[in-house]
Amino acid sequence: MMLDWLPPTLIGVLLVLAGVGAIRRINLWRAGQAEEVAILAGLMAMPTRYLHDLHHVVDRDKYISRTHVATGGGFVLAMALIVLVHVFGVNNTLLAWALMAALVMMFCGALFVFKRRLNPPSRLSKGPWMRLPKSLLTFSVTFFVLTLPAAGILPDGTGRWVFTLVLSALILLSLSEVLLGMTWGGPMKHAFAGALHLAFHRRSERFGGGRSTGLKPVLFSDNDAVNKVHGVAKPSDFKWNQLLGFDACVQCGRCEAVCPAFAAGQPLNPKKLIQDMVVGFAGGSDAQYAGSPYPDGKGGVQEVGYAKGGADQIITDGLIHPDTLWSCTTCRACVEECPMMIEHVDAIVDMRRFLTLEKGDTPNKGAQVLENIIATDNPNGHSPESRTYWAADQNLALMKDVKKAEVLFWVSDGAFDMRSQRILRAFVTLLKAAKVDVAILGDEERDSGDVARRLGDDATFQSLAKRNLATLSQYRFSTLVTTDPHAFHCLKNEYGDFGSTALDGVEVLHHTTFLNRLVKEGRLRLDTFKGGKVTYHDPCYLGRYNGEYEAPRELLASLGIDIAEMERSAFRSRCCGGGGGAPITDIPGERRIADMRMEDVVSTGAEMVAVGCQQCTAMLEGVVEPRPVVKDIAEILVGQLVEEVH
Amino acid sequence: MSDIIRRDPRAEWIVRNRLHPLHLSLVKSQQGDVRGPSGLLRKNVRDVGFIGPNGIKRIDRANLLTVDTTTRRSASKDTQTARPLHVVEQADFYIMVVADMVGGRLTAHDKDLLGQAHRLVVQYSDVNSQCCGAVALVCFGQIKDDQLGLSGVDRLFHLEDTVYDGFSPEARLGALQQIESQYQPLHWLFPDSVHGGADLACRFSARIGERLAAHVWQLDREQCLSRGASGSMDIKRATPRIVTLLEECADPIEDTQHQALPMVLEPMAVPSARLKEKGQMAVDASAVPLAEAEFILSAGNGIHNWAQFHATATALGATEGASRVAVDEGFMPRARQVGASGTWVTARVYVAVGISGAIQHMQGIGQCDKVIAINTDAGCDMVKRADLAVIADSDALLMALASLVEQHQLAKHAEQIHGENSNAA
Amino acid sequence: MQPNVNVVSLVSIGRHPQSGRARRAEQDGRAVELGLKLVQDKLTLLHAGNAHETVLRQYAGMGLDGFTVLPQGEGDDAVPVLVAYFKANRQHHSRQIVLTGVNAESGESSGMLPYLLAEQLGWPIVPRIADIVRVDEFEAEVLLALPRGQRRVVTVSLPFIASVDSAAQEPRQSAFARGLRATLTTLDYGSRVDDAVSHWQVAPAKPKPKRLKVVKAKTAADRMKAATAKPVGGGGKVLRNESVEEQAQAIFDLLLEEKVIR
Ligand SMILES: Cc1cc2nc3c(=O)[nH]c(=O)nc-3n(C[C@H](O)[C@H](O)[C@H](O)COP(=O)(O)OP(=O)(O)OC[C@H]3O[C@@H](n4cnc5c(N)ncnc54)[C@H](O)[C@@H]3O)c2cc1C
Ligand code: SF4
Ligand code: SF4
Repeated sequence: MMLDWLPPTLIGVLLVLAGVGAIRRINLWRAGQAEEVAILAGLMAMPTRYLHDLHHVVDRDKYISRTHVATGGGFVLAMALIVLVHVFGVNNTLLAWALMAALVMMFCGALFVFKRRLNPPSRLSKGPWMRLPKSLLTFSVTFFVLTLPAAGILPDGTGRWVFTLVLSALILLSLSEVLLGMTWGGPMKHAFAGALHLAFHRRSERFGGGRSTGLKPVLFSDNDAVNKVHGVAKPSDFKWNQLLGFDACVQCGRCEAVCPAFAAGQPLNPKKLIQDMVVGFAGGSDAQYAGSPYPDGKGGVQEVGYAKGGADQIITDGLIHPDTLWSCTTCRACVEECPMMIEHVDAIVDMRRFLTLEKGDTPNKGAQVLENIIATDNPNGHSPESRTYWAADQNLALMKDVKKAEVLFWVSDGAFDMRSQRILRAFVTLLKAAKVDVAILGDEERDSGDVARRLGDDATFQSLAKRNLATLSQYRFSTLVTTDPHAFHCLKNEYGDFGSTALDGVEVLHHTTFLNRLVKEGRLRLDTFKGGKVTYHDPCYLGRYNGEYEAPRELLASLGIDIAEMERSAFRSRCCGGGGGAPITDIPGERRIADMRMEDVVSTGAEMVAVGCQQCTAMLEGVVEPRPVVKDIAEILVGQLVEEVH
Repeated sequence: MSDIIRRDPRAEWIVRNRLHPLHLSLVKSQQGDVRGPSGLLRKNVRDVGFIGPNGIKRIDRANLLTVDTTTRRSASKDTQTARPLHVVEQADFYIMVVADMVGGRLTAHDKDLLGQAHRLVVQYSDVNSQCCGAVALVCFGQIKDDQLGLSGVDRLFHLEDTVYDGFSPEARLGALQQIESQYQPLHWLFPDSVHGGADLACRFSARIGERLAAHVWQLDREQCLSRGASGSMDIKRATPRIVTLLEECADPIEDTQHQALPMVLEPMAVPSARLKEKGQMAVDASAVPLAEAEFILSAGNGIHNWAQFHATATALGATEGASRVAVDEGFMPRARQVGASGTWVTARVYVAVGISGAIQHMQGIGQCDKVIAINTDAGCDMVKRADLAVIADSDALLMALASLVEQHQLAKHAEQIHGENSNAA
Repeated sequence: MQPNVNVVSLVSIGRHPQSGRARRAEQDGRAVELGLKLVQDKLTLLHAGNAHETVLRQYAGMGLDGFTVLPQGEGDDAVPVLVAYFKANRQHHSRQIVLTGVNAESGESSGMLPYLLAEQLGWPIVPRIADIVRVDEFEAEVLLALPRGQRRVVTVSLPFIASVDSAAQEPRQSAFARGLRATLTTLDYGSRVDDAVSHWQVAPAKPKPKRLKVVKAKTAADRMKAATAKPVGGGGKVLRNESVEEQAQAIFDLLLEEKVIR
């Protein structure tokens, strides 16, 4: 019996089947909403995006990055050569040798995958993912053996039909995993979807060292009001490339490992969330999910297998509990860590928009805070006329009077809060010491809209943004500085969507950046700091959202402070728990995020933690004493300011 | 009512004179109850009675002598005799005050209205000096207040009938209409209160078709000033016949006493009630929603004996609150959390036990009138905010407070029993 | 709850106490909430005034597909049109419940509207309710809100008007998009200017003087005492070194003075 035809046929059939699966998968994505994407350019850019951006993230874990290069690289090469050598039967010893080399490389990589899977950390999914290294090993060994004759090491027709049959069976096994799995939904799906996701990413600005963190606005218009649903109710309300992005997840659980809400035992696990999104648009239940479940908020976990969804079913009716969505602090730690560049925060806020705008279901204080913002332009419902009370003794120029100034100081809602006012006053003192030509908007300023937007109320955000822009456009200034990273982010990254020229040519800066310049220019004279050990907490909206890690550190260094860095700092900084409206929705967990962050601080032995955000200050000071002192960098600087004697 | 304690020289003299026939009973009433070592009330069986004028021991079983001879006489009773009597022989016009009479007694608000009514009477009399007006009080149900005359009531419409019991606005409205048609008062003053005053005023105004002025806080015969737009505006307008007045609109009567002559009403038809009271629901202090509570005892991280905390709250009749830490630790339910992420309370009196006063907690008590802090740390923010702060261990202090309350309740109980006895006698 | 009872919530334009801006009024929101509890989205949301006021959509956003406005000018009296409206619709709805707030947040805030309506329609009015617990053929059982969280049970015959107290269930959040989609029906029942208002002088509220505690002392000693004694609780008294009993006594006295212990 001659069975030589069998392996190539098998490979061919499986390739076709994989193609069918790919079309089916693509159709699943196409259930999403239309979104303009540069298809060709994206595909062209894909390899660079992979090699540069994705690899850059993966490379934070050297072990897995090397493993992945060997396994993934070996596989892609091997697969191409297999098609040539075994399907088209190109008879070239060189090719065969190359194929074998690729397979050896892949084998070595797969060995390391195997090793990691011997005792996998909890963040990794189990289930089919435990099988994957074995399939990869089988694949490389099988094709190695199959290629031996082609390489001329073994004569053609070696072995009998039994041997061929065994080989074919192994081919079937391993190719089902790596080929069919890719498009029909196995662990290897990440390669297929991941590659396309890189090509058609919704935030292409992220690649090549760029940054794209501003949320995309909801479109409101009078005529579509009747039928259009605002925000994402069903999986099919996502943009198609968002769905594609969810499919790219490798279930590496890096997001889970860094998620503060998950660590606090709140009912959120970003990895599970992404997997639930996949369940949503592909239909079915989460029974197949083999990773860590959502915590239940009381120290236990939610049982897996009961969540059901479909492309046209409301997500919060049975697939995801709203509390999961409201637990997120929008800290972007998950996004930062995700090797597949998945945008968790976008998805979460999209779904929150539906809950707030369409269902009116923002939990706890959410409704009240939004109502206050609407009626008073600040979250606590203070009189808008009292916004400038804090500055009564500060002798600050008002834009209304001076019309133009070099620097506009955006005060933000800290103006209403006694603790934050200390930061504001400290900053003003520094500005004055450096003789900066500065003015404030006074009562004309409004909430930046940050909280409203993260709580899903994009209508209120947009209304605030437009009114703020209208105010700003009346005045002339070259720099806008704020002590509030949340307002900073909105002004810098999100106000651009509303067609105003108010901020054109204006440099929007966080106060640490601005102060750092002043110090470098020698406009502030500062003493060395002689207090005890100091650590620095990176605010999410300053660091991950805006990439400013250096200025605060340089400022502290300029005081002679040698920062005792926390294990999780800079881009890995752990959130204080204060973002995304999380303190307002206040979803119960087992512990508080701020307490965990304070433990991080304590473990450095620091007596003081420097921050650059009023919200972080409030959250960290909310930890019961005794604990290290919490101070904004402006406050620390003021303490060391050398008053010039004239 | 002021409760200034006055000296009674005669009683003091009796106390000094051990031979005086009333000596024993007076001394006894001063000493009060005597408790034995086990805490039981002890009665000295030999201590009953007194030595009569002829040297024989008498026992005053009818309690005739002990009632009025205490050394304590309240100043109010004193002034009762001292205040001049304001007599209205013949009333040419009436100013009606419809009292809330919560619990059968004039409220402070009612008394302010009586004061206001007299100022109106004076103003009307000034113009027409022969003319002489009377302030008439309209009240429903049982009267327990024996000082109506002292509060400025010249005439009294006392409507006591079962139809006016409890919640009976329709029957009361009927009575007001009857008064209106019989006496045509110059003005009707109602307390702007949640005790029924505002409701009755609105009903009356709608019934007789005359527009009222609500939330009035300044009033003379020509013009009145009322708060509108949820207290943010003052509306000045001509004084209408019907007004509802805010608290402290005028000073109560303090220097005169009045006749409080009962008035009679012609019999009238009682309208059939479309509203029927089915009684009051007993709502326990602990079940009152935090936002509505008037008196809150709130626990923080400085509470170590939770059983005692709950017991104290019950004894005080206070609604329980908590700081976030107490809730996080699982000692208190979430619904009891006071503060930025809990409830913003409006309690008049807020007692913070072992709460440091973090800004998020303070936000929740911004509207509290009186804050009392119990804390071991004199430097904490709660102590700075408090109207009264005691630096003490929560455990010991709550214990002392609870026992004070207990004594108070016992004393009140005893007084009640005594009161009933003397009533019976 | 009985589906064949017609519930109408009358709403007005509220005023935020701090900013003075238009908002969903506190008590009116509760009236809508209670209406939604009784008949869900069959609730009729009614306003007499400016039909284009966006605040109305905040009420509708609580879960209604539409709302009805009886168009009125700025200084018009809402009562006559509302009476006309209810008279016109009376035959359809003998089993009718009308819910309002206790006082409006803007304008005179006299709280007369439900009373005038009730008087002219000949319906009973129940003031300051916290809840409606039962509605049957001819009557409803309602809870009246009393101070200190206490409640009184009252039955009232249908149809009736009730004003909803701040103790009633808090209004649910308004969903912006839902309000945006709600359809507006305007019905013309004429209008009448409220003449009396033109004679009023309106000014921002002056602070009301707080009454001082006047001690009418009859003797020199008392006057002395009144002048020197620090009132308990006046301006942050701190008891540091007293015995626990004395401290407890001080607290107790203040509680008595404030009449929270009885
Ligand atoms: C976003 C955010 C929202 C928050 N929202 C709220 C909120 O809504 N409500 C809230 O309460 N907190 C809130 N917090 C928490 C707040 O910051 C504080 O952490 C919390 O209020 C502290 O509670 P505490 O005063 O009970 O505890 P601590 O701060 O630990 O204070 C305990 C106090 O008890 C005293 N004490 C200790 N032992 C004794 C004793 N034996 N006898 C008497 N006194 C004693 C101590 O001196 C101390 O003053 C919030 C925090 C954040 C960041
Ligand atoms: S943004 Fe932060 S809190 Fe939200 S899912 Fe990601 S890691 Fe968790
Ligand atoms: S979402 Fe990203 S980080 Fe999270 S498991 Fe998936 S691939 Fe990993």
